[in-house]
Amino acid sequence: MNNPDPSSLIQFENVSKKYGSFYALRDVSFEIKEGEIVGFLGPNGAGKTTAMRILSGFFPPTSGHVFIRGVDMFKHPHEAKQAIGYLPETVSLYPDMKVIEYLRFVAKLKGVPAYELQGHIRSRMSFCGLQDSGHRLIGRLSKGYRQRVGLAQALVADPPVLVLDEPTTGLDPSQIKEIRELIRALGQNRAVILSTHILPEVSMLCDRVIMINQGQILASGTVPELASCLKDREAIHIRILDNQDRNLALKLLGSIPEVEALKAEEEVSGETFISFETSPELDLRPRIMKLFVEQGISLAEIQRQQLTLEDIFLGLLKTGKLGGRFS
Amino acid sequence: MRKVLTIARKEFSSCFHSWVGVLMATFFFLASGVFFVILVLSYAKISTNPQQYGLSNFSGINQTQYIFGSFFSNLSIMLLFLAPILTMRSFSEERRQETLELLFTYPLSDFEIVAGKQLGILCFFATLLLPLSGYLAVFRSTGGEFEWIPVLLGFLGFWLLGSAYLAAGVFISSLTKSPVVSALGTFSVLLVFWIFDWVKDIATGPWTHIFSELSPLAHYKNFTLGILDVQDMVFFCFFFFYFLFLTLRSIETRNWKS
Repeated sequence: MNNPDPSSLIQFENVSKKYGSFYALRDVSFEIKEGEIVGFLGPNGAGKTTAMRILSGFFPPTSGHVFIRGVDMFKHPHEAKQAIGYLPETVSLYPDMKVIEYLRFVAKLKGVPAYELQGHIRSRMSFCGLQDSGHRLIGRLSKGYRQRVGLAQALVADPPVLVLDEPTTGLDPSQIKEIRELIRALGQNRAVILSTHILPEVSMLCDRVIMINQGQILASGTVPELASCLKDREAIHIRILDNQDRNLALKLLGSIPEVEALKAEEEVSGETFISFETSPELDLRPRIMKLFVEQGISLAEIQRQQLTLEDIFLGLLKTGKLGGRFS
Repeated sequence: MRKVLTIARKEFSSCFHSWVGVLMATFFFLASGVFFVILVLSYAKISTNPQQYGLSNFSGINQTQYIFGSFFSNLSIMLLFLAPILTMRSFSEERRQETLELLFTYPLSDFEIVAGKQLGILCFFATLLLPLSGYLAVFRSTGGEFEWIPVLLGFLGFWLLGSAYLAAGVFISSLTKSPVVSALGTFSVLLVFWIFDWVKDIATGPWTHIFSELSPLAHYKNFTLGILDVQDMVFFCFFFFYFLFLTLRSIETRNWKS
């Protein structure tokens, strides 16, 4: 148990967190090494923020261990916290302080020696694009700038581990792009873990993804692994004009063994929209068309589409796993 | 220690950043000035015609005692309002703005956070007392006379009483997210302690002694009379550190609570 691997900067060992009888996290384990950007993916309430807070040392887990650079977070909090930069979900900073004043405050608390304080803060500010905002009050900054101050704050004292809780929520598209570039630059010689529920962000930024729901890890894998998974799933969408044919159509589709995750929705104009997943090697379209024509179903449209990360994620949430591909 | 001072300094300067701190300082300065002037004038009035006030001779009234003793007693009532307002922001505001979360993730111990905050507020309170020395200077320069030791003891006693009240306020502030609830809570608790002082006037029995011993006001009275008693010092220290300890426990509860 107490034998952390020194090469991994972050190590979560069988971490559980209970609020009363509710498990926010259940037996979560993972490792993150230097130079990795790991995305923590999950719907709201999945336990992302709880995991981030445990990782940042805000509160201890109910059971399990967290090691930062091999140091147990809750046995030697001082040493472990020294190695962490944390950007909380809602970046809440003192509104009545100036940016530079605030960063100086943080730097002193993180133990940056007095003689290099000034230069240290200057370099963090220019890295985050804050060089002209030093004397502005934090309370008057826009959300994007506040996020930058939050990031600058996390970078003070050069922590090798960065914990970013939903770093891009509430920003406009150009700000999101800037923050992502910053994160990518930071990830080169650090371990970065970021939580998000924006799926494209993961494929853009992260080397590895950990999917989490209801406090448990559903899947974890690198982005190429996910991509290969994307290739061998596809969705077929069917549109039927007369919704009286709906039940018959569903029955027919249900009898085909390769059809998975079948679902039907009513459209506004009385049309029925049916979709299901299948594997791309066998193109089911001609077979379905033939079946539908034979039965006299008012088929209007049939279309195949590649599954997006979103579909996989939603599928995972529903079934709990996807062919055991990641685990 | 550097970290404690960093937090203390931030806490101290945030008192000046907010209108609450500045307004309270102004209010305290003006109100205590009014008290002082009234006391000086009433003393002057008695001194011109002691018989009218039922005093056979004037020599029994000590000038220091009459003016400064009553001055410090009156100030203690102002503390009932001052302490809740000065402390209502310390933890409640940080909880409301969620800035406390970030503070907990820095390499700091809980003790450093609590001690820093307490120290900052104590320093602010001490600066509130500085302008009061101006009254002394004016009083002295216009020909008034007083004895130094009792006056300085009065200041010391007032600062100790204030520190004790502020420690209680910081503790209550750590319990709630709402500054208003914190202020009202602190006010109620201080009121209860204040009432402890009256128990011996309205009831008899050995237990009344316990109440009056627990009352900060009873211990403060000695200071206003110019008496320095170790018991009183010990009482205030105990009161202060007890609430400091409670505050520490209260912020540690995040470890087992959501």
